[in-house]
Amino acid sequence: MTEPLQILFWVVVFPGFLFTLILGLVASWIVRKVSALVQWRVGPPLLQPFYDVIKLMGKEILIPQEAQRTIFTMAPVVSVAGTLLLSMMLWRVSLAGTSFVGDIIVAIYLMVLPSLALILGGSASASPHATVGTSREMKLVMGYELPLLLALIVVIIKSGGQLSLVAIAQNAPVLSISGMLAFLASLMCVQAKLGFVPFDMAEAETELGSGILMEYSGALLAVWKVAQAMMLVALPLFLVTVFLGGFTSSLWAGIGKYVLVLVLIILIKNTNPRVQIHQAMKFFWVHCGIALVVAVILATIGNNYGIGWL
Amino acid sequence: MDNNLLISIFLPLIAGFILLFVPNRARAFCKAVTLIISVVAFVLAINIFKAGDAAHGWPVLQIDGFSLDLLLKVTPLGSFILMFAMGFGVLITIYSLKSTAQVKRAGEFYGAILLTLGGSAGILLSDNLMFLLIFWEVVTVSLYLLIGTGGRGCNFAATKSFAMIGASDAAFLLGVLMVWATAGTLVISEISLATTSAIPIIAFLLLLTAAITKAGAMPLHTWLPTSGEYASASVMALLPAAIDKLLGIYLLILIVRQLFVMQSAALSMVLAVIGAGTIIIAVMIAMVQHNLKKLLSYHAISQVGYMILGIATGTPVGLAGGVFHMLNNAIYKCCLFLCGGAVEEATGTAELEKLGGLGKKMSITFTACFIAALSISGIPPLNGFVSKWMIYQGVIQMGTEQTSGAAKLWSVWLVAAMFGSALTLASFVKVIHSVFLSRLPEELKETKAAPALQRLPMMVLALLCIGFGIFYHWPLKMFIYPALNLEADTVIFGNWESGLATILMIIGIILGSLILAVGFLSKKVRLVPTWTCGEVQENAEMTIPGTHFYKTVSSMSGLKGLYKGQEKGCFDSYDQSGKVGSALTNFLRWLHGGILSIYLSWVIMGLLVILFIVCKIW
Repeated sequence: MTEPLQILFWVVVFPGFLFTLILGLVASWIVRKVSALVQWRVGPPLLQPFYDVIKLMGKEILIPQEAQRTIFTMAPVVSVAGTLLLSMMLWRVSLAGTSFVGDIIVAIYLMVLPSLALILGGSASASPHATVGTSREMKLVMGYELPLLLALIVVIIKSGGQLSLVAIAQNAPVLSISGMLAFLASLMCVQAKLGFVPFDMAEAETELGSGILMEYSGALLAVWKVAQAMMLVALPLFLVTVFLGGFTSSLWAGIGKYVLVLVLIILIKNTNPRVQIHQAMKFFWVHCGIALVVAVILATIGNNYGIGWL
Repeated sequence: MDNNLLISIFLPLIAGFILLFVPNRARAFCKAVTLIISVVAFVLAINIFKAGDAAHGWPVLQIDGFSLDLLLKVTPLGSFILMFAMGFGVLITIYSLKSTAQVKRAGEFYGAILLTLGGSAGILLSDNLMFLLIFWEVVTVSLYLLIGTGGRGCNFAATKSFAMIGASDAAFLLGVLMVWATAGTLVISEISLATTSAIPIIAFLLLLTAAITKAGAMPLHTWLPTSGEYASASVMALLPAAIDKLLGIYLLILIVRQLFVMQSAALSMVLAVIGAGTIIIAVMIAMVQHNLKKLLSYHAISQVGYMILGIATGTPVGLAGGVFHMLNNAIYKCCLFLCGGAVEEATGTAELEKLGGLGKKMSITFTACFIAALSISGIPPLNGFVSKWMIYQGVIQMGTEQTSGAAKLWSVWLVAAMFGSALTLASFVKVIHSVFLSRLPEELKETKAAPALQRLPMMVLALLCIGFGIFYHWPLKMFIYPALNLEADTVIFGNWESGLATILMIIGIILGSLILAVGFLSKKVRLVPTWTCGEVQENAEMTIPGTHFYKTVSSMSGLKGLYKGQEKGCFDSYDQSGKVGSALTNFLRWLHGGILSIYLSWVIMGLLVILFIVCKIW
């Protein structure tokens, strides 16, 4: 196969769009099934997330009159594109061990794209409920960005100033105190990025009526579901690659790490109530912030004096 | 060739000076002259850049052994900045042709624009510090004139800007004299002072003051938001957003790379603190602003921090990133101010609370503003991302390779820079929401799109944002690396394949659109009113402006007091020095009360002091 065709195959089929999408829908089934078990319910069958997307595709599309239509319709699509690019980067690092498209700073910036698309989509829908959701989502992004960056610094110190994801995936920072702190804080950030309880205040079904996604329906909502399913693959994969040593030892170990992270996320989701936005910001800026400043100091000391476990 | 240099400086200067006195009735004449001369200056600048290095001198003054020559020298750095500065001149002139903002004083406005262009050409080409200073003053004065053509309250803003920049120019003069005293020459390319003793360090700090005041870095930034509030948008787009940044950073690079040899670790610490502090503090203030132009001004301050931080790292990638960011910032910030100006002219207000839903009415302005806003927030694959990414690499490289005090704190600088980028995004989400998305207020239902002559510069700048982002190697190889004397392939050590990423993004967008298309084609689309859970509500009641988005931040317990103090001007060096000045005046006024007994007692006290000194010495 020629190279452009090969890249196209990677992007569209494996490990790109289709593979990530199917894996993501299965992962969202796991989320729902485990949540059901925690809540003493039976839970949906394996194919339920697929049925949901297909059913949404067949529904009528409603667009608010006051909406800015281009942004409103393109937002979910851009979210899919950003997530696809991020997951391609991570898959190439995990499966082929080669650097692809960008380094870790690029990855951090690409992770903002889906949230930004969500914010702009909500804002474009011209609904007051969605606007409240927009404001909350943006504040949430501001909140978790600070601990995520501090965690990034711990990772960079641990990798000796390397930025490429391949080099970072070689070591597992989680095996040190600072790396552990950074991993835990990043796990909370990923929780917030996925919009899972306790950080689901932007959607907040019970008070805002799914806020930021309120005006979306039919195929538009289906594309959002697709993007969210793909994020459920890409974001835990990011944690696995950056903090847990990635897929370097073996494929099965990598898959095991992914499932472990997923289960951790599900357990946090099911054992916490939704917090208010100012509580979330305080949690990220003050509590996570202090923990990570300690982590950065520990990592610097460990790096300067050659103490690995700090 | 040597005439090209002279023409590109003195043609705009002379024409601009004449235009200042042209009566307002000859507005069309002013516009035509400005347009022609700015285009000529731009073409000359391109030729100068293409022709490469050249040096010429004209004797001006000869007194005994002292001679003052007008030395002009084309350097790769100066000439590429010159080209872009003149390009901005052309774009702003085109934009202002249809603008209604400066109807009353057209001669003054266009004259000052030409003076600015000539002055900037002088700064960027002159190889003599004294002439550089003179041209620097020309730009300061024309900024005063330009701000003065704005709306209500502009005189106060103009005076404040002139006072602050003028004071920093005094520091510049003092610094130049100190450099002359130590180095014995005023020729820039012959000076190279070691920053080891006191006088060069003081001279460095004085010149630094001038550079950062012009560029608008903290703590000498406060002229910028004040003029942003009152001056017209085209003025803000030309000077504080574009040319002042180019000139300030040009001077900074001249100081750091040419005039002084950076040996003092404390100086790079000073630069890094100014850079990182400016990024974070300015963006925190920008987030809570209610006026569109004032908000943009605070971002103009915040972005300077990135350039200074990049230069402070002293690494090749950081330096190149800082200079590239200077260029990128000028492009997108100019575009943002132009869009802000178009919105203000179309609706009559720049208050975010009164705007909304304009994305449907002014689609081109919205597109340009949207691209520039994403670019300033560092969203890949736009140009703002690339230069920020290079600066981050510079900071990381500084941390791993250098041992100075500033290098040990690299993680602080990196967090400040990257977190500042997230806050920038937050504040532009607020702008985009409040101006272009959200709901259209009843009063703005009749808003018309901006005139074509105003949309053209915006689109050019927005396209540059995309082009310089995706094909970032090209401007780097063409302008930045030669200007800084760097080897092209050794600078960047990170990995960002912008072309491939863009293609992948486009494939992703196509895939997503395919899903959408299936839905749109199989089912009919219905336009419905906003869902309000069954309640009947008016448009005004459903409009939520973005101005209150970040109340959560400004009312946080640790930040509340700081925000309040900032609003009152407690951290404004202009206000504070004003207070000191008036206290001093009040004291003097009290002394000169006109009461004989007080004068007499002072005289006697003075006599006693003299007597005491005389007795002590003899």
